[in-house]
Amino acid sequence: MTELLLHIIVPVAIFGFIAVFTLFAVYAERKIAGFVQDRLGPMETGKYGLLQTIADILKLLQKELITPKAADSILFAAAPIVIFGAVFLGFSVIPWAPDFLPANTNTGLFFIMAIVSIDAIGILMAGWGSNNKYSLLGAIRAIAQMISYEIPVGLSLIAAVMITQTLNLNDIAFNQGILTNEPIYFLGLWDVSQVGGFLAWNIFQAPHLIVVYVIFFIASLAECNRAPFDIPEAESELIGGFHTEYGGIRFAFIFLAEYAMMFLVAMLGVVIFLGGWNTPLPNIGSLRLAEWTTGLFWGIFWTLSKSLFIVGVQMWIRWTLPRFRADQLMTLCWKIMIPLAFICMGISAIWRILVMI
Amino acid sequence: MEQILFYAFALLAIGSALLVINLKNTARALFLFFITLFAMAGLFLFALADFVAIVQVMVYVGGVLILMIFAFMLSNKELLTDLQSISSRFIAIPNWQSMLVTLGFLAVLIYSIVEWKDQTPDWIVNNINTNNIIAATDNNIEQLGIKFMTQYILPFEIISIFLLMALIGAAHLSRKEENR
Repeated sequence: MTELLLHIIVPVAIFGFIAVFTLFAVYAERKIAGFVQDRLGPMETGKYGLLQTIADILKLLQKELITPKAADSILFAAAPIVIFGAVFLGFSVIPWAPDFLPANTNTGLFFIMAIVSIDAIGILMAGWGSNNKYSLLGAIRAIAQMISYEIPVGLSLIAAVMITQTLNLNDIAFNQGILTNEPIYFLGLWDVSQVGGFLAWNIFQAPHLIVVYVIFFIASLAECNRAPFDIPEAESELIGGFHTEYGGIRFAFIFLAEYAMMFLVAMLGVVIFLGGWNTPLPNIGSLRLAEWTTGLFWGIFWTLSKSLFIVGVQMWIRWTLPRFRADQLMTLCWKIMIPLAFICMGISAIWRILVMI
Repeated sequence: MEQILFYAFALLAIGSALLVINLKNTARALFLFFITLFAMAGLFLFALADFVAIVQVMVYVGGVLILMIFAFMLSNKELLTDLQSISSRFIAIPNWQSMLVTLGFLAVLIYSIVEWKDQTPDWIVNNINTNNIIAATDNNIEQLGIKFMTQYILPFEIISIFLLMALIGAAHLSRKEENR
């Protein structure tokens, strides 16, 4: 009975977290946009505009559900559920703290990559179901972009997995800190199993993984359809892309899915490359900083703070860089990032055989 | 609990597959096919083949299904209505051909179930007796990797060369002709 109850509580808790995160992320995004563009951002509702997004969501929830007359009503209604469901399922295997994760599976990483690709079906459903040329064009652009950028994401993850030798996200996180059972080498030279801290993170275990993380970060931005890769939504050309026709709670779900996806890829990058729930503070002599800052609550704190920092960088990039043109987008993917990711994969194989034995 | 889930997935797979072939609206049928494939992936999980289940989702849902939807979107509208007018008659020739194939397949399945129930092969009995079976918590991916790189290396390499050939062929076909 308690097990069944746990199966219900955990998803509800994660959903609640995503909802709260989205509310504050939207507020943060608008404030960051204001800062970048040298204005104040929302200031009217509440102190410093803190209640602005709560007012927004209340407005969205009260709105009438409108289905366009020419739309395919079933596909139109099902699309937001599929889009959100795909991203929501991705959270089921990501660790928050040592041995504190919804599902500890041996195929965790592979599962996330497969589940996130369902997102594309949902977007296509929304674009086709709306029966609107802007929506359809946006959906087709989104699919072309997501399928292309899935390849560098996959290759960069393979390059990291070749070093870690496991697809279990819990094990991957364990092998980047002081709780590890295997020896960890900083840049393949210095044994840091007892030192821990940022020195034991995957990006420092092999120097080329820094490049791999940059590839992963850029490609994951494109996977979330965020600026500078937001041609599927391009307001200036396509009105709103695949969600043009949506309103009310359906639009809220699409919006929720976008922010959940941002947090998901940020968290995935953190777990695989930036040490997951491991502390960035190393043990220095008798100053056992790493041991003092490892544990359940510290783990959740580090995961959250690292992921939120990465989300902050995503927002910063969105409001700094202009949108790519479609052909530039494809050139970047197929001619720069995929060859680079392939080279890194080769280096990973050589590194594993020659250095890490 | 597991049994309920298994029958739920099986029902979902069969029901959605029946709907897929009966729907007149091709776009809806294609999107419904997603549910069929997803339910199939769920059924693979019950056979303790988690890797195959995820590959099913990744390749079929993430790749093949999107390709099919694109093919549908880019195909000629009149061609599609033509196809629909043929299949609307029940006693048409294509229906009977497919009926024959499905009945034959069903007969093979039933025959194999009956045969295996009476006399299970020796190696299965031996493995059950010596407890040489897969548990739900085993790391199947590691086993798969070792098998691919040792016992099944030749088929594995042939498949990869075959896929490379297909990739080069696709790139060649989609290339723009320059000297024309």
